[in-house]
Amino acid sequence: MAEHNPNTPDFDKPGTLLQWLDKRLPLVETWNEHVGQYYAPKNFNFWYYFGSLALLVLVNQFVTGIWLTMSYKPSAAEAFNSIEYIMRDVEWGWLIRYMHSTGASAFFIVVYLHMFRGIMYGSYKQPRELVWIIGMLIFLVLMGEAFMGYLLPWGQMSYWGAQVIISLFGAIPVVGPDLATWIRGDYVISDATLNRFFALHVIALPLVLLILVFLHIVALHRVGSNNPDGVDIKKVKGPDGTPLDGIPFHPYYSVKDTVGAVAFAFLFAVVVFYFPEGGGFFLEPPNFEPANPLKTPEHIAPVWYFTPFYAILRAIPDKFLGVMAMGAAIGVLFLLPWLDRCPVRSIRYRGTSFKLLLAMFTVSFLALGYLGTQPATPTLTKLAQLFTAGYFLFFILLPFTSKHEQCKPVPTRVTYHG
Amino acid sequence: MAKGFVAILAGLLVSLNVWAGGGHGQPLEKANNDLRDKASLQRGAVLFSNYCQACHSIKYMRYNRIARDLGWTDEEVVEKMAHGLNKPTDAVLARGDLEAIAKVLGTTPPDLSLMARRSGPDYIYSFLLGYFEKDPEKGVWDNHYLPGTAMPNVLEDKYRFADEAERRHAARDLTNFLEYVGEPIKLYRQSLGWKVLLFLFVFFIIAYLLKKEYWRDVK
Repeated sequence: MAEHNPNTPDFDKPGTLLQWLDKRLPLVETWNEHVGQYYAPKNFNFWYYFGSLALLVLVNQFVTGIWLTMSYKPSAAEAFNSIEYIMRDVEWGWLIRYMHSTGASAFFIVVYLHMFRGIMYGSYKQPRELVWIIGMLIFLVLMGEAFMGYLLPWGQMSYWGAQVIISLFGAIPVVGPDLATWIRGDYVISDATLNRFFALHVIALPLVLLILVFLHIVALHRVGSNNPDGVDIKKVKGPDGTPLDGIPFHPYYSVKDTVGAVAFAFLFAVVVFYFPEGGGFFLEPPNFEPANPLKTPEHIAPVWYFTPFYAILRAIPDKFLGVMAMGAAIGVLFLLPWLDRCPVRSIRYRGTSFKLLLAMFTVSFLALGYLGTQPATPTLTKLAQLFTAGYFLFFILLPFTSKHEQCKPVPTRVTYHG
Repeated sequence: MAKGFVAILAGLLVSLNVWAGGGHGQPLEKANNDLRDKASLQRGAVLFSNYCQACHSIKYMRYNRIARDLGWTDEEVVEKMAHGLNKPTDAVLARGDLEAIAKVLGTTPPDLSLMARRSGPDYIYSFLLGYFEKDPEKGVWDNHYLPGTAMPNVLEDKYRFADEAERRHAARDLTNFLEYVGEPIKLYRQSLGWKVLLFLFVFFIIAYLLKKEYWRDVK
């Protein structure tokens, strides 16, 4: 940058290919801002792998998804057949399909852990509110993407799962029934529904997802990464103007995240090669039977990553209020940066009240996830109501407890034991 | 508070128990079939052709695929499974007139390509062995695992004229074949899996050492 003014580069001066490119595209500048000279706190722990892993799974879904699209047929008559064609006749089709189906579940595993990390270390707090909001939008779009993708194999669970979820829109007063018909493009789930879900799953939502992920990272790099101590590393800088507790993302975190990525790939491969059905949770047994509009399965359960919210829906006796509660369970997460009024970010220095509330929230979420996979017996419904209360109580009590929280003093430097 | 907690725990345990039971009325028998047993798969394929294929298709399989996976030539598979009536590239379809069969039985016999993945090998094995004679006078059979099933006891000769060991043997071979049909690449998938895992393990060590080297100067 020093040899010429970047605003008026000397286009006639010969140079390397990189220089030629850099005069026309801010390559070096972008690289340095986001990778080469992006200073991240040096004390990232285990929980900090899941962001880069989510990116890795996104790439996996894109690549395997493109290849699946080459052989998949989005029609009610051919969809199920084409999946079996992929599984049996397409070269490596089974591997591509299992990577995609396992990837869907892996996506939610890493994203849930990534979000939990954010809550534990207060990563949603000022100045990262927008990073959190964009992340929540990603979560929302991801749920839509997964829901629509699940219809495409056109198995029994695909069909009836979609039927149940779309009929929820019918519970909205006045416009509900028309809205549900509008979403389906028909009075029942049909070829028209499959076609539009395919369009949304392979182009519309992935595009939105990609843009949101881009914004998530750019917004994060604008304010800098949080860390397990919740300490602002930009406050303590060395003589060269870089944070003393920060290290350049590349090579330190690129090499560290590679270790995480390979470990993840190992676990991923264990599932793909030895447990592709994921114990009936990643590929549900009823989905090996083609969709049959005349035969309702005895027990319809959504895929595991939706079950916490599904359990909340079923816990409320009134259908419309249930839909509202389910929406609120996701919506209230958007407000977290403002519900939490404690200035201390990390759970390491926060008071007992927050730790107890977070424990209650976590137990409630996991229990709801389990209950959502089960038939709604009276006992289980009672339990679901209890844990629904536990889920929402976290958000209701937090504004009050966090205001008067007894926190430990926060250090000025991060804790790191090299 | 403590009382409530105990109640929750008890509730969870009870529901977990129900879940582990699978919800079926009758506990399933273990098929203990072995996909690596090629002789069993070959016997199962011939049994399928003789006992099932009049009504049931396995439409996602072709004869030549079965031949390749089970160690037969194209001529052999057509001879053994189709009595020389099909081409090796044909899909394995039911031989009977399904519309006529549906009129007699009141239901269309399902395609069995994915039956093992839908219900599990143990279910197929138990179902095949689960017939009992409800009305010996009229020769009416029913099944413990699917009461009121429209499917006749196709293995009736194995029930009447064979001992239990032979019957179980036939049911196991058929189950084995249908599990193979459910996912023909299963054995290959598993044999490839450990090589991928071994590669990733070595890659992990290298990546870890590289990370350690880079991070040496982070104090």
